[in-house]
Amino acid sequence: MPNFIPRPSQQEILRYSGGRLGIAAVPGAGKTHILSALAAKIIREGWLGDDQEVLIVTLVNSAVDNFEARIKKFFDNPLQALYKYRVRTLHGLAHDIVREKPARVGLEERFSIIDEREAGFIRRDSVNAWLASNSLDDYLDPSLDNSKRDWVKRDQLPDLLDSLALAFIRSAKDRLLTPESLRAKLDAFPSPLPLAELGWSIYADYQRALAYRGAVDFDDLIRLALTLLESDEEYLARLQYRYPFILEDEAQDSSLTQERILSLLSGGTPPSPFGRGAGGEGGNWVRVGDPNQAIFETFTTASPDLLRAFIENNPSIPMPESGRSQPSIIALANHLIDWVMTSHPIPEARTALSLPHIQPVPADDPQQNPPDDPEAIRFINKRFTPEEELEAVAKSVKNYLDSFAEIPIEQQPTIAILVPRNQRGVDVVNALRQRGIEPIELISSTSETRAAAGSLSYLLSYLADPSSARKLAKAYEVWRRDWREDSEKMALVSDVERALRKVGNVEDYVSPHPALSRGERGEEFPSPAGEGLGVREEAEQAIEELSAFRVVVQRWLNAVTLPIDQLILTLAQDVFTEASDLALAHKLALVLRQVADDHPDWRLPELTAELTVIAKNERRFIGFSSDDSGFDPEKHRGRVVVTTMHKAKGLEWDRVYLMSVNNYDFPSNMPGDRFISEKWFIRGGLNLEAEALAQLTALESTSEYDWYEEGAATMRSRLDYVKERLRLFYVGITRAKRDLIVTWNSGRQGDATPSLPLSELMGWWEEG
Amino acid sequence: MDSTGYIDKHLRVLYPRFMSDPFPSLGKLLSLPQRQAIESPLDVKLFVSGPAGTGKTTAGVERMRYLLAQGIPGESILMLTPQRSLQEPYLDLLYSPERSAGGEVTPATIGGLARRMCDLFWPLAAEDAGFAHPDRPPVFLTLETAQYYMAHLVRPLLDEGYFESVTIDRNRLYSQIIDNLNKAAVIGFPHTEIGSRLDSAYHGDPAQRRVYADAQHCANLFRQYCLDHNLLDFSLQLEIFANVLWKQDIVRNYLIRNYRHLIYDNVEEDGPRAHDILRDWLPSFDSALLIYDEYAGFRYFLGADIQTGWALRELCDEQIQLQESFVMSGNVAGLSDGLIEAILPTFEGKVKEERGNSSALAIIQSHFYPELLDSVVAEVNALLSDSLLPPSQVVILTPYLSDALRFSITHRLEAKNIPWRSHRPSRSLRDEPASHALTTLAALTHPHWSVHPPKFDVAYALMQSIDGLDLVRAQLLTEIVYRQRDLELSPFENIKADMQERITFSVGNRYSLLREWLLNYRESDPLPLDHFLRKIFGEVLSQLGFGYHRNFDSVRVAASLVESVKKFRQSLESTLSVGLSDPRFPNLGQEYIQMLQDGVIAASYLEGWQAEEKDAVLVAPAHTFLMMNRPVTVQFWLDAGSSGWYERLSQPLTHPYVLSREWEPGRIWSDADDVRYGKEALARLISGLLHRCRERLYLCLSELGESGFEQRGELLRAFQKVL
Repeated sequence: MPNFIPRPSQQEILRYSGGRLGIAAVPGAGKTHILSALAAKIIREGWLGDDQEVLIVTLVNSAVDNFEARIKKFFDNPLQALYKYRVRTLHGLAHDIVREKPARVGLEERFSIIDEREAGFIRRDSVNAWLASNSLDDYLDPSLDNSKRDWVKRDQLPDLLDSLALAFIRSAKDRLLTPESLRAKLDAFPSPLPLAELGWSIYADYQRALAYRGAVDFDDLIRLALTLLESDEEYLARLQYRYPFILEDEAQDSSLTQERILSLLSGGTPPSPFGRGAGGEGGNWVRVGDPNQAIFETFTTASPDLLRAFIENNPSIPMPESGRSQPSIIALANHLIDWVMTSHPIPEARTALSLPHIQPVPADDPQQNPPDDPEAIRFINKRFTPEEELEAVAKSVKNYLDSFAEIPIEQQPTIAILVPRNQRGVDVVNALRQRGIEPIELISSTSETRAAAGSLSYLLSYLADPSSARKLAKAYEVWRRDWREDSEKMALVSDVERALRKVGNVEDYVSPHPALSRGERGEEFPSPAGEGLGVREEAEQAIEELSAFRVVVQRWLNAVTLPIDQLILTLAQDVFTEASDLALAHKLALVLRQVADDHPDWRLPELTAELTVIAKNERRFIGFSSDDSGFDPEKHRGRVVVTTMHKAKGLEWDRVYLMSVNNYDFPSNMPGDRFISEKWFIRGGLNLEAEALAQLTALESTSEYDWYEEGAATMRSRLDYVKERLRLFYVGITRAKRDLIVTWNSGRQGDATPSLPLSELMGWWEEG
Repeated sequence: MDSTGYIDKHLRVLYPRFMSDPFPSLGKLLSLPQRQAIESPLDVKLFVSGPAGTGKTTAGVERMRYLLAQGIPGESILMLTPQRSLQEPYLDLLYSPERSAGGEVTPATIGGLARRMCDLFWPLAAEDAGFAHPDRPPVFLTLETAQYYMAHLVRPLLDEGYFESVTIDRNRLYSQIIDNLNKAAVIGFPHTEIGSRLDSAYHGDPAQRRVYADAQHCANLFRQYCLDHNLLDFSLQLEIFANVLWKQDIVRNYLIRNYRHLIYDNVEEDGPRAHDILRDWLPSFDSALLIYDEYAGFRYFLGADIQTGWALRELCDEQIQLQESFVMSGNVAGLSDGLIEAILPTFEGKVKEERGNSSALAIIQSHFYPELLDSVVAEVNALLSDSLLPPSQVVILTPYLSDALRFSITHRLEAKNIPWRSHRPSRSLRDEPASHALTTLAALTHPHWSVHPPKFDVAYALMQSIDGLDLVRAQLLTEIVYRQRDLELSPFENIKADMQERITFSVGNRYSLLREWLLNYRESDPLPLDHFLRKIFGEVLSQLGFGYHRNFDSVRVAASLVESVKKFRQSLESTLSVGLSDPRFPNLGQEYIQMLQDGVIAASYLEGWQAEEKDAVLVAPAHTFLMMNRPVTVQFWLDAGSSGWYERLSQPLTHPYVLSREWEPGRIWSDADDVRYGKEALARLISGLLHRCRERLYLCLSELGESGFEQRGELLRAFQKVL
């Protein structure tokens, strides 16, 4: 096995010979690596029969590619492992499962999958329809005066209801409830549940809109896969045969549904719904994860407790060694675990983090921890306003960048600024730009998504205005986007681009001699290339390039009469080679086709505008294969990456800034703590989303002791949030290899304080 | 083209083996059993079976020639196939100039026959079948007009919550209900049993179950509506023929008196109901030749039944089995056996034996899809230019042919001057640029519709209508001459001189001709939409200098559009004329365009490939190629990793096997059935394709498919085992 010397715990894992195995890993423990090694071992040692595969399930598509690459490295001849393993996200797996028998769950053979952005669109329509004929007045704070009440209804309720509906629908799907079955439960329930009624109404409307389009959303895909497995034992048995080994990465983020699906596939008895644990014995199922890194932005039934229970109830091996961080950072992270487990003032929050502690790697390990440097950890306990905090961090970054400007790029450090929320990230980016620092944004959809969508929108915008020389030149640049890295070719590209920009009548370049019928054009070439090009050889190259591009443009111009999806695919096949770009183009094609079908009067300009919106990231666009295309911090040495703590998961940098660690973004349910989900205009500060979900839970419950009590869910949700924020802080800290700088601010209203865990760490650190 | 060339070309298509002999005397090249079949006495009924490529259809065509040569009047010969495309080889003979005048052979399908009988014997049919207005003429529905009425009936039910648990495009929903009715008719069970049959085989998520009851209710509604309004869709035509007319002596005698000789090819692709009728009818013919393709039955999802077809064998006087393939080389045969063994293993070891026969199989591989298409077209080019293979001897097949894929391949072919043709019966006219252009022109010509096409549509329409007009100039021109508000089209002469020059005068002239035509038409009395389309097509668009002059693909689209409009109009006009004006429409043409845009009218074109250039590379879905029933030298299989090669078993609202006659009532359709029938379908497909392949198969494989996903379907797994 090249370049892989297993650590002691990894050696133990590689002795795996079947059955269930739970692995609690720490940040930087090499989870992907060990699972790849394990898969390679299973394949190499011939444990698989005919038509059998190792199934590897992971969280995001970037990890899929990562696994593929790593497993291949274990084989001299990649053919040895061909079709012996399959790496899928849960969505990808669900798609595979449903794809084989769509009609069984009421789908057409070639059903379409709607992306989250389009789903959001449809949901918003349903929310607006609900608001138009219903009122939420019962839940508004009665002390609001009329004008304020009107403003809230107009400006606040649509967003609030939208996120409530999102959570409600996802949760209902997670519980395999269809609008019909939910309706039956509502009708049978003895007392009124207004929020569940609201949720049902929007859900039913939303689902009808999807069915009308012959489409499902991502949550449906998972719901239907589970439905299929649970209702077709033979099919399940067939899949169980096909996947005799299941290796699951990032298992701490596994939802109850994912656990049920994998449990079924691995041949175990399914866990009881909403109970604890992963059901009975059975199957070869290895789950690796770090319960301390379970963080999630939107509602799912994911909970680190699921993985913890699995580890408790099955054979397990901890994976505590990590070569990522210097010892002082490890000590800090370990202290956070200890403090939370033993001394958090809210006893219920003490389960937020759990053992094992992080251990440095043994002395013979190829990836050694950076040397200890307590000085590299700095808590800035100054009471900044939000603006001052931005200033201070930007200044620090500037100084730091200046300090190593002279050394070669490959020796420069990697740097990240991590913030709790997207909006704060945007502020940071602006502050950096004001100081002349151009950061790498990794805020919402990834830059690759934007680049690919952007490329296509340049092409479309040329096709919508084909006589524009400027747009033609831009389209040319897009066509040669793969040459960006090559400076010699780039020189040619910019020569040609300049020449195209100067073309007077575009038609003379793209379609000379129109009088002749198509296909019989002469070779005569208008000379946009001549001027401004010095050397003869370069001019020839440019002319060659112009001829080549002309053929492509002609093809595009002939393609405009195609329906938009096919136009996009055609263009994509000419300009993209990256798998992720092609996959993304396909998604974009589907989205735009849907948009075009919904707006029959839209033509290229409107559709281009839509694509531009996606490209500019004004709307969330997350697709099957563009979740987070793999981000590699190493590729951005000497630059500053700005992202959220959530997005930073799985990544590491030499220096990390953690910002806004105050009691607003990291509340601890102490007096004075506020909660984002509790709106001031809702009576009693209820968290409506949590209340709606609690009503849904009450509907599902069969126990007479489980009833819905208003407000209880709001309190429970506070606790969940407190715990998630503790883990988020832990994730933030463990991103740093050498330097860690933590700041906080006093918040918009000036009354925020350092978050409780930050205060604790600062105190502990000062005591030394 | 002179007549010799014409015959040559068609003979080459049909009988490439014989082309070594410039004046083929087929006799000496036919096998003994073939000759036996062809020259059998005029009072004998014969059942010829064998795999594809063993010369069965050749024998059928020659038998027809023989019958005619023996002085049998053409009008007493009935030539039956399950689908019209399968008649192609026979029609080539019938329409060839060597045929002297005389009575015409009747080429027919059972459906077509049913329709003719319903028309002819309407008074007999009308009362017994329960039509509300037997005194008024019948209105025959096409698939699209049936879909149109179905939409009218089902739409309100959807709002009541029908079909809530299925996720399906509405138009597909309508067509599946129609499909169920058709299956009931083709297979021969009462349409009122559709729901219960589907339901009784269902095992799974109970929430899914009620859709069958919904589907049944809609089928009942539709049938009743048809009876109330004298509408006859395909299913009703067939049911009336089988249940009512065929049982009347007058009809039966009419048919028996008229048709004395039968040639029935591809018996296995017809449904049990057709076989029942033939079972009854066969004894009355003087002579009959029934041709049965073994290992076929590709139309199973339309109700085809190989068992009831095979059973007709017993009724024939003689049975001949053809075994030796005229088509497959030994290597291709070996490959075919190996693959089928890999999919449906019968005994150990055979797969290995077949390995190493490499000349029959070539693999084209790439990482990305566009690269794959490049390599495929380069290889096609090499075959045509280096090996001098006629283009008609090459097919590029795929499980699905998306517009983008077709576009990508055919453009690459054109870039190399390779002629191509493409059948794709499943594409909607709505998505055809050519029909889009025609409907735009229609809107421009009919201001009273108040449909105001945006500039883009007008530019696209001009680009397609005027030969040599590119998009850039089309937009320049449109920008200047067209006003959307009032559909004004200003004359070319009013344009500034320098701009005229940019657009070019040749384009200007053509635009002027087109414009003048449109303006003149606006002044005249409006015609029905199909007449209008015919007129603009005939008088302008098909003329030299206009876009449809040389673009045969567009011509075909235009023709199907006209046909579709005509049928729509006729169906609705008759409904209106019998005073049953349920739908009231301001203008049928406008209504049609609306329906087309909503996708209610799928208007896919199934006909018209007799007319097309045959010496061209065929780009088509695999299934379409099979239904053309002709062999080629080289096949390219694109998307080898796709799972689409066989996954077409079940649909949310219908099921080919559960509704079939052999299905035991009450038996549950299980996953094992899914696997078994799926594999059988795949094996059948592979066998069918390879039996139509002389020399070589190119397996074309990109790691990432058209949409960028990894592909590893069953077909690819089978190949993996034989490689």
